[in-house]
Amino acid sequence: MKPKIEVENLNVWYGANHVLKDISMEIPEKRVTAIIGPSGCGKSTFLMTLNRLIDLVNGVCVKGKVLLDGKNIYNPGIDLTELRKKVGMVFQKPNPLPKSIYENIAYGPKIHGVKDRKTLDSIVEKCLRVVGLWDDVKDRLRDSAFELSVGQQQRLCIARALAVKPEVLLMDEPCSALDPTTTRKIEELIQTLKNDYTVVVVTHNMQQANRVSNYTAFLYLGKLIEYGPTQEIFTNPKNKLTKDYINGKFG
Amino acid sequence: MKTVKEKTVLFLLGFSAAILLLAFVAITLFIGVGGLSAINFRMITTSIRKGGIFEPIIGTLYLLAGTIAMATPLGLATAIYLAEYAPKGKINRIIVQALNNLAGVPSIIFGLFGYAFFCRFLGLGISLLSGWLTLTCMTLPIVVRGSQEALKMVPKDFRVAAEALGAPKWKTIKDIVLPTATPGLATSIILGISRVAGETAAILFTCSVFLTKGLPTSPLQPVMVLTYHLYTLLVASPGTSTDRAFAIALILLGLVILLNLLAYLIRMRYRKRWKW
Amino acid sequence: MRLKCPKFLCFKDKAEIFLFILASISIIILFLIIVFVLNEGVPAFIELGFSNFLFGHRWSPYYGNFGAFPLIYGSILIVLGSLAISVPLGVFTAIFLAEYSPRWLSNMLKPIIELLAAIPSIIYGFFGFVFLAPKIMEFLNVGIGEVALTASIILSIMTVPTIVSISSEVIASVPKEYRKASLALGATKWQTIKSLVLPTAKPGIIASLLLAFGRAVGETVAVLMVCGCVPQIPSPPWNYLEPVHALTAAIALDMGEVSWGSLHYHVLFGLGVILLVITFIVNMIADFFIKKAPRGVQI
Ligand SMILES: Nc1ncnc2c1ncn2[C@@H]1O[C@H](COP(=O)(O)OP(=O)(O)OP(=O)(O)O)[C@@H](O)[C@H]1O
Ligand SMILES: [Mg+2]
Repeated sequence: MKPKIEVENLNVWYGANHVLKDISMEIPEKRVTAIIGPSGCGKSTFLMTLNRLIDLVNGVCVKGKVLLDGKNIYNPGIDLTELRKKVGMVFQKPNPLPKSIYENIAYGPKIHGVKDRKTLDSIVEKCLRVVGLWDDVKDRLRDSAFELSVGQQQRLCIARALAVKPEVLLMDEPCSALDPTTTRKIEELIQTLKNDYTVVVVTHNMQQANRVSNYTAFLYLGKLIEYGPTQEIFTNPKNKLTKDYINGKFG
Repeated sequence: MKTVKEKTVLFLLGFSAAILLLAFVAITLFIGVGGLSAINFRMITTSIRKGGIFEPIIGTLYLLAGTIAMATPLGLATAIYLAEYAPKGKINRIIVQALNNLAGVPSIIFGLFGYAFFCRFLGLGISLLSGWLTLTCMTLPIVVRGSQEALKMVPKDFRVAAEALGAPKWKTIKDIVLPTATPGLATSIILGISRVAGETAAILFTCSVFLTKGLPTSPLQPVMVLTYHLYTLLVASPGTSTDRAFAIALILLGLVILLNLLAYLIRMRYRKRWKW
Repeated sequence: MRLKCPKFLCFKDKAEIFLFILASISIIILFLIIVFVLNEGVPAFIELGFSNFLFGHRWSPYYGNFGAFPLIYGSILIVLGSLAISVPLGVFTAIFLAEYSPRWLSNMLKPIIELLAAIPSIIYGFFGFVFLAPKIMEFLNVGIGEVALTASIILSIMTVPTIVSISSEVIASVPKEYRKASLALGATKWQTIKSLVLPTAKPGIIASLLLAFGRAVGETVAVLMVCGCVPQIPSPPWNYLEPVHALTAAIALDMGEVSWGSLHYHVLFGLGVILLVITFIVNMIADFFIKKAPRGVQI
């Protein structure tokens, strides 16, 4: 299997706090990779290093390599706009922009140079259809995105991330703010996404990791404890920590 | 059940509030009644030489327009730079702190500085230009501080969302941060203008004179201003022409109340919008 | 490895360069203010001698007497008088607005009180000069109406909004749980406020008083028009029914007439330096108290 992202000896410090320790792993293309681990172990931090959104944090220090298609994204010459176009992100809390539903989705393509009205219209429709929101909102595309319910907002955010045609989609606990039905829908969505995208999803929910992912990585206190096909991790974990965590002994 | 003590306290507290309300009513009534009986259309539109107050009114507008044109871009740029771009270190904190302190510096100090620096050191003399520059210095800290507050109110989520889509920093600011902060920015600018409109001390010796030949034809000429004119009417020649004094006071009061009302309305809408 | 560029002067885009230039201009200008006032004011201290200038008892510039003490004393006298009025008035009103008055009343009163702060000082001067001073003369039976008391009253109205708006915000931000706990123990509302809310809000209230002090001491035209502008120390020194002079008023009155570079000119800037020092100190102490205010309160 061809790796989309290769992480080599990645270390992250927040000030003096060493939160990611020597992480190395390969994330395969067009598969869903789940990141699990107890709260505070560095899952969100890890995701943010993959699109360099971590640059927004003050006083952070990143060492190591992250190769996207073989190119280190921490090279000085890298174009952040290009990088983030390729690596989209969905956050734990839905974070629509203070714009209309339409503008939320059209914003990304516009930044990346799409000007034609018709093209934008079709992108908006396509992305909203993918996340199953089109029928709900097609008559109120001009309304503020904040008028949607939380679950709808989250799906809007996914649609927004898809609108720039990323190659990788990072999702940080995308379902934690949602009810079971919507969670179901998003899980199904993730399943379909893997045909076209490389998906990395952080989750606290073991069943969810089990249901949606092909590979699972277990992080503990900033270290990568175990990483492998989801089936193996859940049925036959090699490390005792992993086993205890999966069986709900801590976390 | 309310005890006697509780009632006394409530009375005392309410009474204090009533006194403040009374002070406001007294001042507005005093100016309002005196001003309304003095002011008329002819006075506003005739020249100062014929007993009107036309030149000071237009002079004040000149002064306001120039100050807005200078202070707004400078103030906004400074606030945006400090809040969004400048490295968040010690230097940044010191500069912000210094700006806060400057916002509390008495306006007469700005007058002194304006006279020494713009009028004398730069040789601009007592002129409209010196006035613009001095008042810009005076409003700058106010505008910067208010704008920084407004920028700080923009939720971090918005910026993260835009940057995650690949928006470059400047586009994030232009498309997301500034539109969201606009009501707050506008409020801070309006309040700055309101300060300028009523300012006397800072222009006493930088830009205005009691009488000019007419309206200034270049920024290097002195200008007549409402506040300064009222000041000289009262201090230098008390007793003369109370009609004009009342009319000027009414115009100034009306202008300031209007500006503050505008700022208040914007702020109210802003609060509602934040509930999204 | 990530390349760490020097943080300073490492521009992300063109917009940043543009903003950086404008921001530098305004920051430099603002620092020039301090530099220039010091530069023009310090010669006065050198020429007259620090203590002669600061503590000299005679201020008659046209006869070469540059003792600033009567001005400093006058300023402080007026300001303390104004605080004696505005502090109880302001704090009581703040408690009323935050704790007792119904919402609609607070919503109406707050903007009105804020407007009091926005009314130009020349209008207060006008009001004091034409309305209040004659009334004072009449009712208190004094020779002239432009006395320290008049200035204090006018200043108290001008600065009370500072006290009210900050104090009421601080009081309102004391957590509800505290009050519930106290009321549940059977304390009355006023007992709760007095023993619980006010002590918690105290640093913020003190900060508001200091900021009011700073505003009052720098007030110029209104004071000039109603204080009488007589550079004397009243007898007895706490006699509020005598005219006094103030730092700001002296600067404003004389500045138009001095010749550039003369001793008198430098002395007026020297007064400016004194004023600056006073306001900086007061603001710094206020900052100290603001930092001690309960969390979540922004001033
Ligand atoms: N901006 C920051 N500044 C300093 N420390 C931070 C910052 N963000 C996170 N941390 C610390 O880094 C560690 C890892 O945080 P991170 O958010 O990556 O954990 P997480 O695994 O996503 O947790 P959760 O499951 O609760 O979301 C935590 O100990 C946290 O306190
Ligand atoms: Mg997290």
